[in-house]
Amino acid sequence: MDIGLIHNLSVGFGVALSLQNLMYCFLGVLLGTLIGVLPGIGPVATIAMLLPVTFNLSPISALIMLAGIYYGAQYGGSTTAILVNLPGESSSVITCLDGYQMARQGRAGPALAIAAMGSFFAGSVATVVIALFAPPLAEVALKFGPAEYFSLMILGLVGATVLAHGSLIKAIAMTLLGLLLGLVGTDVNSGIARFSFGLPELSDGINFVVVAMGVFGFAEIVSNLEQGESREVFVNKVTGLMPTWKDLKSSSGAILRGTAIGSMLGILPGGGALLSSFAAYTLEKKIGDTSKFGKGEIRGVAAPESANNAGAQTSFIPLLTLGIPSNPVMALMIGAMMIQGIAPGPQVMTERPELFWGMIASMWIGNLMLVVLNLPLIGMWVKLLTVPYRLLYPSILLFCCVGVYSLSNAPFDVMLTALFGLLGYIFVKLECEPAPLILGFILGPLMEENLRRAMLLSRGDATVFFTKPISGVLLGIAITLLLITMAPTVRKTREVAFQE
Amino acid sequence: MKVKNGKDFWAGLMFTGFGLGFMLVAFNYPMGSAVRMGPAYFPTVLGGLLAILGAVIFFRAFVSKFEHPFKVFTFRLPLLIGALVVGGATYFGDSLLKGAPLAEFALTGLALALFIGAFGPRAMFLILLAVVIFGYALKPLGLVLSTVILIVLSALGGHDFRKQEIVILTVGLALFGVLVFVKGLGLPFNLWPGE
Repeated sequence: MDIGLIHNLSVGFGVALSLQNLMYCFLGVLLGTLIGVLPGIGPVATIAMLLPVTFNLSPISALIMLAGIYYGAQYGGSTTAILVNLPGESSSVITCLDGYQMARQGRAGPALAIAAMGSFFAGSVATVVIALFAPPLAEVALKFGPAEYFSLMILGLVGATVLAHGSLIKAIAMTLLGLLLGLVGTDVNSGIARFSFGLPELSDGINFVVVAMGVFGFAEIVSNLEQGESREVFVNKVTGLMPTWKDLKSSSGAILRGTAIGSMLGILPGGGALLSSFAAYTLEKKIGDTSKFGKGEIRGVAAPESANNAGAQTSFIPLLTLGIPSNPVMALMIGAMMIQGIAPGPQVMTERPELFWGMIASMWIGNLMLVVLNLPLIGMWVKLLTVPYRLLYPSILLFCCVGVYSLSNAPFDVMLTALFGLLGYIFVKLECEPAPLILGFILGPLMEENLRRAMLLSRGDATVFFTKPISGVLLGIAITLLLITMAPTVRKTREVAFQE
Repeated sequence: MKVKNGKDFWAGLMFTGFGLGFMLVAFNYPMGSAVRMGPAYFPTVLGGLLAILGAVIFFRAFVSKFEHPFKVFTFRLPLLIGALVVGGATYFGDSLLKGAPLAEFALTGLALALFIGAFGPRAMFLILLAVVIFGYALKPLGLVLSTVILIVLSALGGHDFRKQEIVILTVGLALFGVLVFVKGLGLPFNLWPGE
């Protein structure tokens, strides 16, 4: 570690440890845990809901709180997965397999404890990873011109489609649809209001929160209601929290491996918590004694829970260094930065170091708070789980509606959100994964802008994207990724992997 | 030809429709050239690509190795046609309705309700309707009454509706909304009608 890093981190901790920021960090992780525990409401809807509120906060407090919601949700999600066999959070799907079995054997306590410890370890490591890798990446990014940015966004979108569930071609189509929807509104170059159908409300474009809330929030409520609910909560089974020595010994390796996988996959475009947890579980199932998997193997809880927390945090790297979101939550963080008048990108680190390092420091502090929140207070979260969904979803709806209405204090956005909810329901039914659409939506205007500038600079020569070295390499990786995914053997294993 | 994969069939139609739709609207804007792209350039290219991909997905539905029934979710054609007729009449006849903003508002609302009702289960209709009504009622009726409408209407979409529970929930949430949203966060909502 060099002196610069230590200096930067001390600046960061100075910012994050101020009373006000500590409070917002706590608020963020508390809310994150809450929505993580509750199935049916995720970090996307929550952050979207709180965006209008952050307008009144200082930029650093706003970002600290929103970040806390995302990684806090990873902690909370495991509680529900273990106790109810329902993923409180999509990234905890895989934890259900072994976590719930442990709960049935009366070992819910150790499962919860290992999940929290693994998450804390992973969160701490991921914090260091961000501190180490973000600055050099940002330096590279400062040399980027419009051609490089365009190619980078192509790579990001390809990454998101390749890693999306289900059919590749549908994921590409969803990306294109997202890009197109992102173009609605006034064109910056000509001043023409595109695709607005003469409606003044559309001339500023569709708000990102409207799309995210409709497609993720409302659509999820409707499909939850359609499935009906059946829950068996092991509320009174949480007795001793302490894992045995044997548990600790066998899970320590899994935690290490999960952390490593999560830290790497979080950085990838399209990656993040969900992908990391799947990859970590798959790897764990190939190592050592595998006979107990699916029957309450503690490693099957430790690895994915560490991985999803590490992945959630390192997915901030592309956002903070390149200004490019790698998943829907990061796209919302861009929205939050823009509300505060900060243009996301490599210049944030040099121009607003207190913002960047303060946020990183807050992540470590937030992780510490989460361990405290989750372990001793587990009883409180368990109680929350007994609230039936029929009471939960009207409440969630109210929060969503108030959040959307506050965007412009007009009913139009609420109506538009309802329409996107309808569209989101249709997407679910037609097996079209919405995540690529959201990414396309946020990148649409940026891509068009950089494409135009690059083409203007090259006087209409489209080969510039391949002849510029950095841009060429990025496009090369994107094309290779697409080709690999389309190869028959990979396609088969991919289908199998997502089936599991 | 038999449709093997209903999900691909409808997804293909949807994507092609969106692609062509965006291209069609983009024809109204200047195209420009590759050097100086006009506002129509990028959307036309993207729309074209989307329409082609949609067509591929559509044709894949006939040869797919995954089998899904043709009917993917509840769809009510009469309601959709009704929505298109009412909506189209309101959109193109708005010069006639200029003198009657309330009639225009009511017709738009009717078209929207028919449109939402055309797809999916009853629960979705009730929930989305509750949301839209909440949005438009918030200003004239105030936060408290809008909350009551939203909660009761959306709760009707659930599996079992228990009156007492919903009453308590509604009162609780209305109180919460007043205290947290208006008093706490300072959102500029009026609480009662006509304030």
